[in-house]
Amino acid sequence: MIKRKHLGLRISTWAVLLFLHFPIAIVFLYAFTTESSSFKFPPPGLTFDWFGVAWNNGEVRAALSLSLRVAAMATAIALILGTMAAAAVWRRRFFGREAVSLFIVLPIALPGIITGIALRSAISIGGIPFSYWTIVIGHATFAVAIAYNNVAARMRRTSPSLLEASADLGANGWQTFRHVLLPQIRPALIAGGMLAFALSFDEIIVTTFTAGNQQTLPIWIFSSLVRPRQRPMTNVVAMFVVAITFVPIVLATRLTRNTEGTTG
Amino acid sequence: MVTETTTAGGMQRISGALHRRPGLRLVLLLGLPFIWIVGVYGGSLVALLSQSFFTLDDFSGTVDRTLTLETWGDLFTDSNISIAIRTTVMATAVTIASAIIAFPIAYYTVRYAGRRLRAVFFILVLIPLWSSYLVRVYSWKLILAREGILFWFVDKLGLNFLLDGALSVRGIGGPSLSASALGQFIVFVYIWLPFMILPIHAALERVPQSYLEASADLGARPFQTFRNVIWPLAIPGIAAGSIFTFSLTLGDYIIPTIIGDSSPFVGWAIYSYQGVSGNLPLAAAFTFFPIVIMGIYLYLARRAGAFEAL
Amino acid sequence: MIKRRFLALVMLVALVAAACGDDDATTGGPLTEIGEGEGAVSIVAWAGYIEEGAVDPAYDWVTQFEADTGCNVTVKTAGTSDEMVALMTESTDYDLVTASGDASLRLIAGGTVQEVNTDLILSWDKVDPRLQEAPWHFVDGKHYGVPYQWGSNVLMYNTEVFGDTPPTSWSVVFEEQTLPDGESNVGRVEAYDGPIYIADAALYLMSTHPELGITDPYALNRDQFNAALDVMRTQRDVVFRYWHDAYVQMDDFTNEGVVASSSWPFQVNILQFGGAPIASVVPEEGATGWADTTMLHANAPHPNCAYKWLEWSINPTLQGDLAAWFGSVPVNLEACTGNELLTDAGCDTNGLGNFDQIHFWKTPQADCFGLGGECVAYHEWVTASVAVIGGR
Repeated sequence: MIKRKHLGLRISTWAVLLFLHFPIAIVFLYAFTTESSSFKFPPPGLTFDWFGVAWNNGEVRAALSLSLRVAAMATAIALILGTMAAAAVWRRRFFGREAVSLFIVLPIALPGIITGIALRSAISIGGIPFSYWTIVIGHATFAVAIAYNNVAARMRRTSPSLLEASADLGANGWQTFRHVLLPQIRPALIAGGMLAFALSFDEIIVTTFTAGNQQTLPIWIFSSLVRPRQRPMTNVVAMFVVAITFVPIVLATRLTRNTEGTTG
Repeated sequence: MVTETTTAGGMQRISGALHRRPGLRLVLLLGLPFIWIVGVYGGSLVALLSQSFFTLDDFSGTVDRTLTLETWGDLFTDSNISIAIRTTVMATAVTIASAIIAFPIAYYTVRYAGRRLRAVFFILVLIPLWSSYLVRVYSWKLILAREGILFWFVDKLGLNFLLDGALSVRGIGGPSLSASALGQFIVFVYIWLPFMILPIHAALERVPQSYLEASADLGARPFQTFRNVIWPLAIPGIAAGSIFTFSLTLGDYIIPTIIGDSSPFVGWAIYSYQGVSGNLPLAAAFTFFPIVIMGIYLYLARRAGAFEAL
Repeated sequence: MIKRRFLALVMLVALVAAACGDDDATTGGPLTEIGEGEGAVSIVAWAGYIEEGAVDPAYDWVTQFEADTGCNVTVKTAGTSDEMVALMTESTDYDLVTASGDASLRLIAGGTVQEVNTDLILSWDKVDPRLQEAPWHFVDGKHYGVPYQWGSNVLMYNTEVFGDTPPTSWSVVFEEQTLPDGESNVGRVEAYDGPIYIADAALYLMSTHPELGITDPYALNRDQFNAALDVMRTQRDVVFRYWHDAYVQMDDFTNEGVVASSSWPFQVNILQFGGAPIASVVPEEGATGWADTTMLHANAPHPNCAYKWLEWSINPTLQGDLAAWFGSVPVNLEACTGNELLTDAGCDTNGLGNFDQIHFWKTPQADCFGLGGECVAYHEWVTASVAVIGGR
């Protein structure tokens, strides 16, 4: 009975999802093509060979490992700093509060290339060698903004009376934080953390400027795409990434969905 | 036993002290993020912008650190301004289209989809964010090619005249979809769509069920409820998503080099000035365009409540 | 209160950043002898220049080097000369760079690379004499690098479209005309999107408008420069798009119906290997080309390994293998005979005999390379090229 309603909306929803996933299906398809440099449609043949080639390639594994480590560290830093900033801004009106909000959001509001070349000039002026940490700094800068947004939004929906009640019951600040506030913002931490991790993992624009000799996975893919003889390998790698991230995404969705609900 | 009480007592004293000194608490909480964002990020922005007051020495290609406005003079040329305009127009078009496409799916997911379905939609929207941006853009090149996938479909359906018609429009068309502004537009919308869907989804979720019930109780028809209750509450989400799509399009230098007719965009111009000719002063001055444009946009978005909905 | 502290902090950071200025590179002259290897060497190179068998096991000239010297090679691939200059200037992570002539002089002038002591390179005498004192790496009597490979840009075309009448002139990519298959060339040709491409337009003018008096396509006075820009503006309406990376160009030939473009032998080889109907030619006007030199960073972290690589880079086997892989010409002519991959005909196929018709890339300078008069400098080439591609 209800299923026939909103037909227009349902069609448009599935159409959009199809639009989002069709190119990914193409990426998967061409992970099997027998061509090695230029892609034709339809693919002249299909093969599993590229999986073996990708698996044996040491560069890919190194790039994957670096990307994971960078994303993990950047997300950790972002969650800590973002929560601190969100807690500071929450329900207190102090002079410059708007400015702080604006400034924290700036790294994602300004185009990545500006962040990239600004950090790069600062790094070379400061004479700091490019390393894992310079990449992390670049990523954490926008990741903090994402974590901040998610946590601040969630805090806005949390009633301050909860904290007051906790204090009334004799808990000190730390206990209140651990047992009352943290569970409230947990979905935001998970959602913000997931988004930050995803963006850091796939980041190319800022990383190009802060990475020096290092290769994160997107940088490796970029350099592979200009070395035309093994193009399907990049498709294999992309496919692999989607496959292994499927599980964490499902988990995270479960965790955030369960605690849904508006207050007030 | 005694130690426990003392530790608990210690924590009690610290948290009590912090409670009584909100200013100190503020500084402690804000201090670290502050140093990071303002010191690291803000400092490097300032360092970059200060470069725009230097010039590039013709011969050796090194930066001459004497303060001058010469580089700024080089900035405001006809060609640079047209680059800024072209990019802004594309960013606007992409933002509007993304909003139009994203809204129905976000709305349906929040309002009518069951719990299960909602989770599925969420996952399906997140997956593209995880699959490599670069590989997807290159696959679009194949999809949009003259002998590519889209053309194959259009051909089979006999809709060639539509495609040819679109491609012959001056300004957005071209010899092939992948070498036209139209193709670029499609790819931009595709890539940034999840960034628009998520904030709208979040904003719509925040609309309490009780509001909708109250509105119905007061006699509003579904469309009126939508127009007067849901839509105003959704606007901050749209504004927030638009910040992403606008700024990402403004600064992207990768998509225009793969899809499109090679017309320069702001992100590409900045990238090539700092790399190609090592002209960091001009690149720094060029960032003036996106900074000012985004500044205006942020101001407008804030008025629409975007900052509450990011 | 917070606002003021905020401002003060920002200014402090900026001041500190500005104060920690560049360290001056101090070099006490080139090495006088090669010592113990440092265990590593890092090289900035064009894609395909330094192969370790990852793509095709037959093409590997790194593993042997690493075994012989104990210097582990890491390669940073760059897509354009300008990226190479940027990488070398902005960091001290890299030892060597395979710089083309439009990067090498900038690196020398900027003090980014150091003089190479050719006495330490045992095979130096084997280097093609035409290249030993080439102006893009031999300045003021000092050598700033060891030549690596050279080659010319070629006109790549689709043999099915051109049939029995292959193109003989660059006009097919510069001006509108009807191709042998009966269709117009509009939207079916491409051009390189680097600013150095203006020299190709100037080269074209050398034949079509000799009255302009262009003798060197990289040394253009204001009038000649403007004339070249006009050629490029005409071209803007004819091209499908400007190509920037090899892959995108090959894609365009494969499934976008592009039939002619300036290109590198690298792409020609790959497309032919994949069975596409592609061939190439050096048109009658001549062509621009590139001659790459391996240069040594002024503050190279591993100078001994670097010198070992410099010597290794000109051995005949490497030179032959690389020429076969890249479609370029070796600088050590011993490589032209007896190399399985290159074959004895390889050097000629790749253009050994064209040396005198090629105008090698070099960075345009305001002093016309010391020949007198006033020429348009490179940074103007960049802004002009951006303007033309943008339709102005």
